Amino acid sequence: MKNINIGKKLLNIATKQKAVLAVIVILVIMIFPKTNFYTAYNLFDMIKSVSILMILAYGVTLVLVAGGCDLSIGGIMIVAGIVAIKLMNANIPMWISILAALLVGAVVGAINGYLVVYQNTEPFIITLGMGMLLTGIAQQLTDAHPIPCNNPNFVKLANDKLFNTIPNLVIVMIIVFFIIHYILRYTSFGRNCYAIGGDYEVAKYSGINVLPTKAMTFVICGITAALGGVMLSSMLNSGSSTYGDTTALVVNCGVVVGGTSFAGGIGSAPQSAIGLLVFGVLQNSMNMLGIDAYVQQIIQGIVIVTIICLDCYGRKRKREAV
Amino acid sequence: MRERINFKNVIQTVFRDYLVLAAIVLLVIITSIVEPKFLTTGNLTNIMRQFGPLIMVALGMTFVIICGFIDLSVSGILSLVAVVTISLIEPLGQVGALIVGMLLGTFCGYLNSVLILASGAMKQAEALFITYGMSTIYGALALIYSGGRTKQMSIVKADTSIFSAIGTGTVGILSVSFIMFLVCLLLLYIFQSKTYMGRTIYLTGGNKTAAELAGIPIKRSIALVYTISGLMTALGAIVLFSRVTAASPVIGKGYETNAILAVVVGGTTLIGGNGSVLRTVLGTTLVILMSNCLNLLGVSVYMQYMLKGAILVLAIWLDSRKQL
Amino acid sequence: MGNSGQEIILSIKNVSKSFPGVKALDQVSLEVRRGTVHGIVGENGAGKSTLMKILSGVYQKDSGTIIFDGEDIKSTTPIQSMKRGLSIIYQELNLVNTMSVGENIFLGRFSEMGGMRGVHAKAKELLKSIGSNIDTYKLVSELSVSEKQMVEIAKALSFDSKLIIMDEPSSSLTADEMKELAKIIHHLKDKGISIIYISHKLDEIFEFCSVVTIMRDGHVIDTKPISEITRAEMIAKMVGRPIENEYPERPNCVGETLMEVRSINTKKLHNISFKLRKGEILGFVGLVGAGRTEIVRAIFGADKVKGHEILIDGKPVKIKNPRDAKKAGIAFVPEDRKLQGLVLPFTVESNISMANLDKITRFGFLNRSAERGMAEKHVKALGIKTPSIKTKVRNLSGGNQQKCVVGRWMETNPRILILDEPTRGIDVGAKYEIYLLMKKIAESGGSIILISSELPEVLNMSNRVLTICDGRITGEFDPRTASADQIMEKALEFCRKDLEHERAN
Repeated sequence: MKNINIGKKLLNIATKQKAVLAVIVILVIMIFPKTNFYTAYNLFDMIKSVSILMILAYGVTLVLVAGGCDLSIGGIMIVAGIVAIKLMNANIPMWISILAALLVGAVVGAINGYLVVYQNTEPFIITLGMGMLLTGIAQQLTDAHPIPCNNPNFVKLANDKLFNTIPNLVIVMIIVFFIIHYILRYTSFGRNCYAIGGDYEVAKYSGINVLPTKAMTFVICGITAALGGVMLSSMLNSGSSTYGDTTALVVNCGVVVGGTSFAGGIGSAPQSAIGLLVFGVLQNSMNMLGIDAYVQQIIQGIVIVTIICLDCYGRKRKREAV
Repeated sequence: MRERINFKNVIQTVFRDYLVLAAIVLLVIITSIVEPKFLTTGNLTNIMRQFGPLIMVALGMTFVIICGFIDLSVSGILSLVAVVTISLIEPLGQVGALIVGMLLGTFCGYLNSVLILASGAMKQAEALFITYGMSTIYGALALIYSGGRTKQMSIVKADTSIFSAIGTGTVGILSVSFIMFLVCLLLLYIFQSKTYMGRTIYLTGGNKTAAELAGIPIKRSIALVYTISGLMTALGAIVLFSRVTAASPVIGKGYETNAILAVVVGGTTLIGGNGSVLRTVLGTTLVILMSNCLNLLGVSVYMQYMLKGAILVLAIWLDSRKQL
Repeated sequence: MGNSGQEIILSIKNVSKSFPGVKALDQVSLEVRRGTVHGIVGENGAGKSTLMKILSGVYQKDSGTIIFDGEDIKSTTPIQSMKRGLSIIYQELNLVNTMSVGENIFLGRFSEMGGMRGVHAKAKELLKSIGSNIDTYKLVSELSVSEKQMVEIAKALSFDSKLIIMDEPSSSLTADEMKELAKIIHHLKDKGISIIYISHKLDEIFEFCSVVTIMRDGHVIDTKPISEITRAEMIAKMVGRPIENEYPERPNCVGETLMEVRSINTKKLHNISFKLRKGEILGFVGLVGAGRTEIVRAIFGADKVKGHEILIDGKPVKIKNPRDAKKAGIAFVPEDRKLQGLVLPFTVESNISMANLDKITRFGFLNRSAERGMAEKHVKALGIKTPSIKTKVRNLSGGNQQKCVVGRWMETNPRILILDEPTRGIDVGAKYEIYLLMKKIAESGGSIILISSELPEVLNMSNRVLTICDGRITGEFDPRTASADQIMEKALEFCRKDLEHERAN
């Protein structure tokens, strides 16, 4: 009896921390080949490259915890980035343009929330459609060409370094991390999200305003996705409709790798950060090892499919236990 | 009381089925008035040719959706089959390439179902993620196979008469690809309404638990719909690259959403258990006609993309309201 | 404690509630006094749960008055009634498994309680007050059932409850855990809190309660002080429905053994072995959740169960899924018609033909006219009232829907027909027709396993009855000679878990 319990606990730890395990395994493997992997420059570059996805992931975490799903984040990201640049190119001050871009994210999030929560549509499908619509809007806005930004300050927003070491983008990512972490962990709203995702009926009967709470998660997710878009545009100093094709998939999978379940009720910002780090470390290592870009795409695809299948398989085992 | 409910049902069905038809007719009338080029033989042949690839993919997708699932891997499969088939024309000859291409698509579809069944992904959302992931894998394989380069059919030294026929040939007033579509439609319609497996697909989509308890082989139905989807996508790939006489490794991009759009606009509901390939034909017609009209009217490709997205969201929304 | 002068905290007068096709509560009246434990007993479907759900605000009553703590309650929501001081501990526990103990106690009141720290501090205090020291940071999913119950009780107390309803609180407790619960109940009573205690276990009713109300078929049959009623009387009132001419004459054509089931063991089932004879109707009697459905699902291959043996005609058969079962000549009418039996948006025709598609398939093609013939045959034979076979099965009444499921399996010519709650939610006339059908099947050589929560139905239709309690077969009866009370006694015979522990050690 006791042995079973210990075994169960170990299994629990292993499943919960599988993302940490994956990161450590990759880090250990990367000690052996002669690469520039273990240089301060590369490590910061790695964090920076994954920061935008992480910003998106925190919002997605909130939605998944409350039992929803958002696949439109890629679309929101590019549209927000383009809107910010377009406004700045029209000589509107940078901060106002950025706020406007975030507002766009909030509005799209509100529409998603309305359709999913109040109109009872399947979140996966409707947000996928929304992503397609937004990609179309982005292409219309840019004619499918990257548009450069005329405001010289904008590029500094993401790329300047604090104390000449830490890129601003990373700092923004960390700030968003703490905000979402705080919301999920210490606010009534955040705890209610866990209750709604964990057991919708119980949450409803406990007097939680389930509908507005769940809809709000989509709005916040829209805002973080828009912020990610603004930072992306700033980092590249241009807005383009071509990024973001697989963003939604990678971010959602990264969040699931971290331990948040599609079933809702489980997950946290730190877990999602580590989940995304798996993808960041994996990609960076593959770059360092000089693996062909297309092969990288395959490896990433295999990792994603494996993770989702394992997630489903775990639920199947639970379902069939008699 | 029951009479009235039935009456209401009839009105609803009529409204749902003929709404698409009415939209098509309206679109044709308005466009032919505004833009006389619309009703020329040249344009109609053009429409027929554009019809080819999407309808093939959408017909396959119809069965996946009737079964209560979804397949996002079609864009990857389409790209992969296109680049592989075109490259095999020279070493294997046309017929060999054609067969290998179709087998490849079938295999990819089957592989999806194996993963879905092995992991026990019985929800649409789970299948959505798995097939989305598979799509990136198939897409990457297409990129690796082709080295990221577009393969031109014109460079091929071997005989390409079959593909040219599929791409540009006509029989009477009908294009060859349109005849291919008609044949597929006929076969799939018979499959859907007259066969045992067709029925089990509907039953699986209608209520998986009840179907399983009645001894319906639901796993076989699921495997079958994904396999059909793979095969139809392969046919779509062949029709597509024959028309454009080239295959780029990203040629299939956007086909998954367009196919879902065509199926849902046609009136097959995402919840599963109902729908028909005939509806998908209506849906596809509307989608193709719309882009043709917008092209003639000089609306940009990007604007069209945006409109399609808006219609997709609207269609899904209306679809979910139907179930309330 | 003298109970006589105590004021009334809850007064229910003439409350009725109907669901489509069923009258769940009919003019129910009940009074509960402050600081007492009031027991409610009754068979499954007697209306206890419906009444409790009305009190807690999950359902709304159709008519009647409810006065709680001097206040006339017209309509309420679960959170409102909790805030008024009326809490309910449901049979299926009402906790969010993925959250911590502390947060579950104060669900939806996170900031009122002063954030995470306040929640856990107050939760700890509450748990301590009922003598529990569960770590409030633990996830509910990691708790044992009794610990979960403690959490539910603490949650009820957190609202300053004046009345706590416990719906089958002991159904999955061990003997030790039961002692803990007993302590808590006494403790709550001393605090002046009233308890409505719903249970099938009559021992507990006699141990805890001062008053008991017996319900049956949506009516209150009797309310008596516990000192004035005997166990036998109580059982008689629970099951003692006047048996009118509701049932056809029992078929009497039992032959030799047709199927033998050997040692089904799962988490829930323990060493289930029995024999079924030709032409026999074998009744399973037991409470909901006793494992009746699990047994037949295991036989039918609907659940993945390993290690058991099934012999038909003395030969072992391998049944891994429902298809195998169908081939072996077993048919299964599942308990939840709408979720497990029918494909609601489909026609009567395709619902009847769905288990028999192989029959009408040739070279992969369906013979549509054979399908139509098959459907028409059963619509006629079973008297299914439907405008046409093309009508969607969703639009039929419950009884006719059930007949569609039965008809589907009749077409397979089953040797063994498993009926799980075949008459639930259907009207008397349709019930009688289903009984006649069972009789006909048995007389033509088929065997039937009948599961029903309605004791009279099992007793009047079966040739033999097995009582099932807690995943075990606890007794075997001939319903012609055994009395309902005897059978019920065995169906409520919970295995002494403490004894079992000793045996295991």
